[in-house]
Amino acid sequence: MKNWQSSSRISYFCAHMKTVDSQGLRCPQPLIMLKEALQEISVGESLSIITDNETSLKNLITFLKDQGAEAKVTTSGKVHTIITIRPDSNLTDTEPELYCESCLPINTYVVCIQNNLMGSGDPELGKVLMESFLENLKLQENLPTHVVLLNAGVKLAMKQSPVCSALSELEELGTRIMLCGTCIDHYGLQYDIAVGMISNMVVITETLAATGHVIYP
Amino acid sequence: MKRFDLLSTIEYGGCSSKLPAGLLSEALKDLPVALDPNLLVDVDTHDDAGVYRINQETALIFTTDFFPPICSDPFEFGEIAAANALSDVYAMGGTPLMALNLMMFSPGRIPMEVFGEIIRGGDSIVREAGALIVGGHTIDDHPPKYGLAVIGTVHPDKLITNAGAAPGDLLVLTKSIGTGALVSGQKNGLATGEDYRRALDQMKQLNKTGAEAAAKFGISSMTDITGFGLAGHALKMAEASHVSFRIRTGSIPLLPGAYQVFEKGSIPGATFRNQEFTVDWAHFTRGVDYNLKMLVHDAQTSGGLLMSVNPDLASQFVLEINGPGPENTATIIGEVLSESPRRLYFE
Repeated sequence: MKNWQSSSRISYFCAHMKTVDSQGLRCPQPLIMLKEALQEISVGESLSIITDNETSLKNLITFLKDQGAEAKVTTSGKVHTIITIRPDSNLTDTEPELYCESCLPINTYVVCIQNNLMGSGDPELGKVLMESFLENLKLQENLPTHVVLLNAGVKLAMKQSPVCSALSELEELGTRIMLCGTCIDHYGLQYDIAVGMISNMVVITETLAATGHVIYP
Repeated sequence: MKRFDLLSTIEYGGCSSKLPAGLLSEALKDLPVALDPNLLVDVDTHDDAGVYRINQETALIFTTDFFPPICSDPFEFGEIAAANALSDVYAMGGTPLMALNLMMFSPGRIPMEVFGEIIRGGDSIVREAGALIVGGHTIDDHPPKYGLAVIGTVHPDKLITNAGAAPGDLLVLTKSIGTGALVSGQKNGLATGEDYRRALDQMKQLNKTGAEAAAKFGISSMTDITGFGLAGHALKMAEASHVSFRIRTGSIPLLPGAYQVFEKGSIPGATFRNQEFTVDWAHFTRGVDYNLKMLVHDAQTSGGLLMSVNPDLASQFVLEINGPGPENTATIIGEVLSESPRRLYFE
């Protein structure tokens, strides 16, 4: 009687949520089960997965975070329950509305900065504008794939630059910060670089040519 | 008699048996470093082997590697373990000379015929390498482990370390990535027999051709890709060379089926451990496919050579290694950049 009651309670509380029990299984089995289960539910629907293996717990969380999904863990003794919500997966490739009629992705773009000041006029103003531009750039929903820094633009990525933290944040978010190596040598800044990949004109040209859209602020 | 399945001796889903790289660096950090003017390569650069100059013409390359079964067939396990151990000599630009068998084996639990098969498999590969097995050492232990200690030689001026990559060089990888994925996929019933067979065949392949081409072309730097994955070994090479690497994930040759195994979620624990090791040093542009990001961290057994090659020679060099046969997969996967805040830039 008691057993019947408790099992009915579980099904009542869990009626709306798919549960995957991977207890007793070791990596990568729980991950396979999680991935299969995620594909069976719709975006936004929640799912719980139970594991009693510390390594699997860690790997499941890493996997979910890499997919941009939340992972809420409750632990009782050695048993961990992760509750997650299916994210809008494949954010990076096939979003139909991001494609124009010719099927070229119009959402990717590169920002090419050729000076540490924005626009021509009062240098003080140019400095403020550039700072404001990069602070706003990192807040965009659609971030650039690359930020290319050329000529005096490389100064923005140096330790003493007021925007080097904004550039670091962009890099953390997956934007490649590219520095012109020749420009760094020219200004003698080899030892001051805070962020970015030292690059050359071959790579920079290739990057600019490959993207559909370049912004020159 | 029923054929003995070596994989039955190891725990299900045992992932990779190598210690995490970070843990290892930490444990070894206070060990006094041996100093000798003739010691050409020591532990400092995390290279593949120790190298000692015995005279103006000859340096000795000294290395070892062993591991538990990664396949069912004992002969094949011997072949793979031997090819893997010999690889460190090739990765220094050398030629294997002699080897000792290292065997951990419990006769109470496994038929002795299996022992013989493993040794014979190892011997066949050592012969193919043109080296000699001159003895060995066995202890009673379970599950079994097998490998070699190898001595090779190289001319001191022809030594190729992982510390010579120069900005402007192109990066060449000589074998496909994905052995860890397919071994794990096979255990979980997610890899086809054909794809798993390709992985086994690739693991048995010596890095001899690549090393010979490297010596002929006088390339600047080289390492072999094993347990720490492409990213882990590339990181050590970039670090030792004081440069950064840019690697195009789309150009990395993959074993057929490896991507599909990861797509189904069968990602071994070793992959995550390897990712943890490079996380502060590797940058992935947004848009790099998740499974490719994980495959660059896939632990390889008897993987290929990663080389940095003068850009003017690179295409000729790749042709030299690949030859006319369709089986070889040497590919240009990226380039060497000046030392940047991060070591590895994947796109």
